[in-house]
Amino acid sequence: MKEQWDRLLQKDGAKTVLASLVSILIGLGVGSIVVLLVGLGNPATLGASGAWEGIRLIFGGLFSTGRSAAGQLTWGFNPASIGNMLFRATPLILTGLSVSVAFKTGLFNIGAPGQYLMGTAATLVIALSIPAGSMPKFVIWLLAFLGGMLAGALWGCIPGLVKAFLNINEVLACIMTNWIAANLVTWLFDGSSFCNTVENTKTGYIYKTAYGKVMADGGWTYADGAGVQTAKLGLDKLFPGSQVNGGILIAILLAAGVYVLMTKTTLGYELKACGSNRHAARYAGINDKRNIVLSMAIAGSLSGAAAALYYLAGNTEFFWSTYQSLPAAGFNGIPVALLAANNPIGVIFTGCFMSMLNIIGLQMTNLTAYNEFITDVIISVIVYLSAFSLLIKLWLGGRKKHAAPASDGPAAGAAPETDTAAADAALEPVPAADTAAPTPAAGAAPTADAEPAAAPKGGEDA
Amino acid sequence: MTFLIQQTLIFAVPLMIVALAGVFAERSGIINLALEGIMIFGAFVGVYFIRTVQQSGGFMAAKEANNWLALQGFMLLAMLVAAVLGAVFSLLLSFASVNLKADQTIGGTALNLMAPALVLFLVRILANQNTLQMAEGDAASWFMLRKTTFGLARNAEVGFLFDTFLNRVYLATYICLVLFVVLSVLLYKTRFGLRLRACGENPQAADSLGINVYKMRYAGTTISGALAGMGGFVYALTTANCTANGDVAGYGFLALAVMIFGNWKPLNIAGAAVLFGLCKCIAAAYSSIDINGDGVFMLAELGISAHVYRMLPYIITLLVLAFTSKKSRAPKAEGIPYDKGSR
Amino acid sequence: MQSENIIEMLHITKEFPGIVANDDITLQLRRGEIHALLGENGAGKSTLMSVLFGLYQPEKGEIRKNGERVQINNPNDATALGIGMVHQHFKLVDVFTVLDNIILGAETTRMGFLQKKEARAKVQALSERYGLRVDLDAKVEDITVGMQQRVEILKMLYRDNEILIFDEPTAVLTPQEIDELMATMKEFASEGKSILFISHKLNEIMAVADRVTVLRKGRYIGTVNTADTDKQALSNMMVGRPVQLEVSKTPAKPGGVVLSVKDFTVPRKGHKADAVRGVSLEVRAGEIVCIAGIDGNGQTEFIHGLTGLEKSSGGSVTLCGKDISHASIRQRGESLSHIPEDRHKHGLVLDFTLEQNMVLETYKEPRFAHYGFVDQGAVRAYAEKLIGQYDVRSGQGPLTVARSMSGGNQQKAIIAREVDRNKPLIVAVQPTRGLDVGAIEYIHSQLVAERDAGKAVLLVSLELDEVMSLSDRILVMYEGEIVGELMPQETTVQELGLYMAGARRSGAAAAKGGDGA
Repeated sequence: MKEQWDRLLQKDGAKTVLASLVSILIGLGVGSIVVLLVGLGNPATLGASGAWEGIRLIFGGLFSTGRSAAGQLTWGFNPASIGNMLFRATPLILTGLSVSVAFKTGLFNIGAPGQYLMGTAATLVIALSIPAGSMPKFVIWLLAFLGGMLAGALWGCIPGLVKAFLNINEVLACIMTNWIAANLVTWLFDGSSFCNTVENTKTGYIYKTAYGKVMADGGWTYADGAGVQTAKLGLDKLFPGSQVNGGILIAILLAAGVYVLMTKTTLGYELKACGSNRHAARYAGINDKRNIVLSMAIAGSLSGAAAALYYLAGNTEFFWSTYQSLPAAGFNGIPVALLAANNPIGVIFTGCFMSMLNIIGLQMTNLTAYNEFITDVIISVIVYLSAFSLLIKLWLGGRKKHAAPASDGPAAGAAPETDTAAADAALEPVPAADTAAPTPAAGAAPTADAEPAAAPKGGEDA
Repeated sequence: MTFLIQQTLIFAVPLMIVALAGVFAERSGIINLALEGIMIFGAFVGVYFIRTVQQSGGFMAAKEANNWLALQGFMLLAMLVAAVLGAVFSLLLSFASVNLKADQTIGGTALNLMAPALVLFLVRILANQNTLQMAEGDAASWFMLRKTTFGLARNAEVGFLFDTFLNRVYLATYICLVLFVVLSVLLYKTRFGLRLRACGENPQAADSLGINVYKMRYAGTTISGALAGMGGFVYALTTANCTANGDVAGYGFLALAVMIFGNWKPLNIAGAAVLFGLCKCIAAAYSSIDINGDGVFMLAELGISAHVYRMLPYIITLLVLAFTSKKSRAPKAEGIPYDKGSR
Repeated sequence: MQSENIIEMLHITKEFPGIVANDDITLQLRRGEIHALLGENGAGKSTLMSVLFGLYQPEKGEIRKNGERVQINNPNDATALGIGMVHQHFKLVDVFTVLDNIILGAETTRMGFLQKKEARAKVQALSERYGLRVDLDAKVEDITVGMQQRVEILKMLYRDNEILIFDEPTAVLTPQEIDELMATMKEFASEGKSILFISHKLNEIMAVADRVTVLRKGRYIGTVNTADTDKQALSNMMVGRPVQLEVSKTPAKPGGVVLSVKDFTVPRKGHKADAVRGVSLEVRAGEIVCIAGIDGNGQTEFIHGLTGLEKSSGGSVTLCGKDISHASIRQRGESLSHIPEDRHKHGLVLDFTLEQNMVLETYKEPRFAHYGFVDQGAVRAYAEKLIGQYDVRSGQGPLTVARSMSGGNQQKAIIAREVDRNKPLIVAVQPTRGLDVGAIEYIHSQLVAERDAGKAVLLVSLELDEVMSLSDRILVMYEGEIVGELMPQETTVQELGLYMAGARRSGAAAAKGGDGA
């Protein structure tokens, strides 16, 4: 049993998953500590019992069903929560994909919020501009969806272009385009006819896409139900009381598409080559600049798709005066991608996890004196940990390092190789070294001692 | 004109000091993308400190007695507290980048996510809303230097210089300017500065000469954290009326851009910060700027949408980066974790 | 009683994860001697010196100074003991001035402020005394490699070191500069300083050293007096088997012109002066043409301009009759293969597997890709074929991550890939850098075989031995120009050195060089 466990730990994929789980656990743990400290610091409103409730919600909020008449937290299967988790996971999976595609090409796409906003604007403008009935609803839906993707792609191109041709740090460029997008979108909707004036309880919101543009009394106006909505595909029956719709399936399909693109196609090969070693890619005749722009365009289109699917749900509203705040769905793509180690399939799961945190945040706000920002603290801790996920992976495999180093003997020489100049560490391994590799039991040190020819390899003349 | 200069200074100074914060980190070899987050954190800490002190009474007594020395002292203390806690917060980044050899971009991003989350979480619990304010009054009435502060009558006739630089200004602005000069000298004229810069350019060389690269990088990032934390509070004090809401509107990133535009050199950074400060100032107050004093608010009458002015700083940043990036020269070893084992 | 040995390193063992870089090595340095440390690339010389300099801590063994055991935990300890080192890759801060570099780590200060006056005076005195000419206010990035080395030597002298380590100091120098360095070293020794001289070049060791300690694959082989030995014997000790010092090849039979370059100019980044200035040359089928010269004289930029990695600013390149002056990298690649100078930067994607690296340039060809999808089976089969044919050794065959392979096998993989592409022109830049003798012999024989198969070979090398033994024709590059064309049979290393140092240029070549003179 233990052996199997150890062998599993040797697999890179397994280590990655474990490292992510460890990060999640530590993140939740830190969140709990903050909750505990704040709880003990505010005995009047929270106290130890309040803190204990908070901690239970952090770990099990998805299965919270509210409070009983006696004021106790109640637990159980909550289809609305799970359905909403899937609904909120949709944009997170897509922005996560967006960040991970860029990552694979060596770019840190912190511009997802801006691309998301541009996608939002395009989607809403298209969906709300085309008069209801002028074409089939499905076509309007599709146009709005594609328009959102296109807008995101174009917006993603900007940091891509300045990175490729002017070598401007894409992080800074992305941040600037984010704020520009926020102002642009606000400007676009400021005083436009898209602002919701039908429901006078709402101020500052754009119409839901469920509203359609219709002619009434010789002028255009909007009517509920005339607009477009993503098909539910029966998912609402499965999770009654939730907002879930077919968007989640589209997100999963796109994730699979990105997986195929990155692993099976020549384009994916090129993108990854540019990401791992831009110089070598250039040397091989790959157009690195084109690929950087392309990668950012793909990333942008995925963020745009995230926005499109979220707002095409028909029951979500966009608060248009957004120039002072950027959408969290964009930033949260970063932890989604990092936790999944940029694996497109992994993103599906980490996206769901992130949206589960969202649900937990809501439960905290609704049921306790805490608020939803605690989940942002947890997320930031997880991002922090993923900055050195490699170390966590090493640490996970650490106990095994002495027993089977032969397999990664020369790999350990990676350190000297950071100096690209001149002679790298390694000697020619003599045949013995290579044939020794598959021998699992033999430690490296004894091998080296017994076989003088195989001895030194690292740290020389680097 | 006076208004324009004062407003520009108010925007430029935090930018300048935070850009210098970036310099100290990057010159030691650590990319401090977390400036924004540390500013947010520092702003919260400073405002919270003021709020607490205000509630304690001594503050009120000082105000009542019109003891402006004491009031300025409280403000200085708040700056100091923001700096210290900013430095402590930045240790998270140093620890990840130096000891754990983490990806500095991701580490910095984590701090940028963590600061607003933590701050909003606490603010909501402390104030039951999303903004933490002073317990009483506003920053302008408490901390601003005025003619009356210097014992002059409210309507006393003073020269242009006095009016511009001593009336209706914040002491914090000048403290930051002095610090800026002192730290620039530190960077260029002292042993510490020479060694710090060596670590950001060629840590292997520094190590071979017996300089502890890890220590220097900790030092650089910690100074950076202190300055950014202080800058965050100064920003909150002078432009946000001493409130903290988990946001500094991308100021930390603008400071990074100023740093790059200034080519990692203090003097150029000071110039760049003033330029940025001017355009931030125009964005914030274009409708009330009367450039030549003829009572015509020219910028407002141009009829350009407010949104354009708000976008301006970010667009200009992007353009400035586009035109300078080819020439700019970052410290060679920045962003690369130093590993003693590799050479 | 004072020990005869000033420094003793006894039974030093230093391990890195998975390897033993130094295995029970003993080295004794006498006062006032020049002691050479000989070994191939990867024999453990630099590791041993890093132990002495306090950069690494050994697992076993001890270090003694004047017979007393000492503990060297960091370079500060080494400096305190009077040990100084000129590293193979200079440890200089490019953007600092020469003076700042010399005082860094040993600054004089008053209240924390730097006091440079005294330092300047001391450095100037040292510089005059030993004839080590430097410009104290120049930035290091603006001075020549030779001067950078003098800065490194001054750094040791400034710290009053009495034990001086020179790690492969001659690699970057012209033969004439090497002679100067040797003279300086002898002067130091005559003043009672003790010198450790690390090298794999037998000529230099025989010329300057009193004794030699030989290492091989991390192990101690022996210590001999240079007076009692000869080059062949040392070479055998170093490699462990008789080594053929010469490359065996038949005279070249040059065919038609494959590559023709005319008035070629490449700008230098961030500088006004061009890196390559009006270079003209021809390479014919069936010959190896070598561009010799000291590092940094425009060879890298010339090759980058030729292969399209950098943009040229003037002149024309004709390859196989086609003008490719403005062609893309991939278009050029249709007629040339390129073994790059830096295998980690350009040659390989280190995080890709071996098989992915094997198709780095050819992944889009119909044999590996259909409708935009990579045919993984075909790639695997091709990689396996090359691995077998060129004897590339790795842990997991085609699935080995390139980063985990040894340098020699990484280079073999690149050579396999480039040679198998079977293009009329092979551009090879320092193809044997950092490799051991076995790999060097293999690569040399491959290049000769390709030449004999009718390929044109353009070789760039910094190693004069390689230049002399491998090439059929030598072009010397100095400050971005071709200053001489020589035939290896008719010239000497000394003559080559004069060209490399810019002290001599042949008329025809100078005329081609344009306005540079």
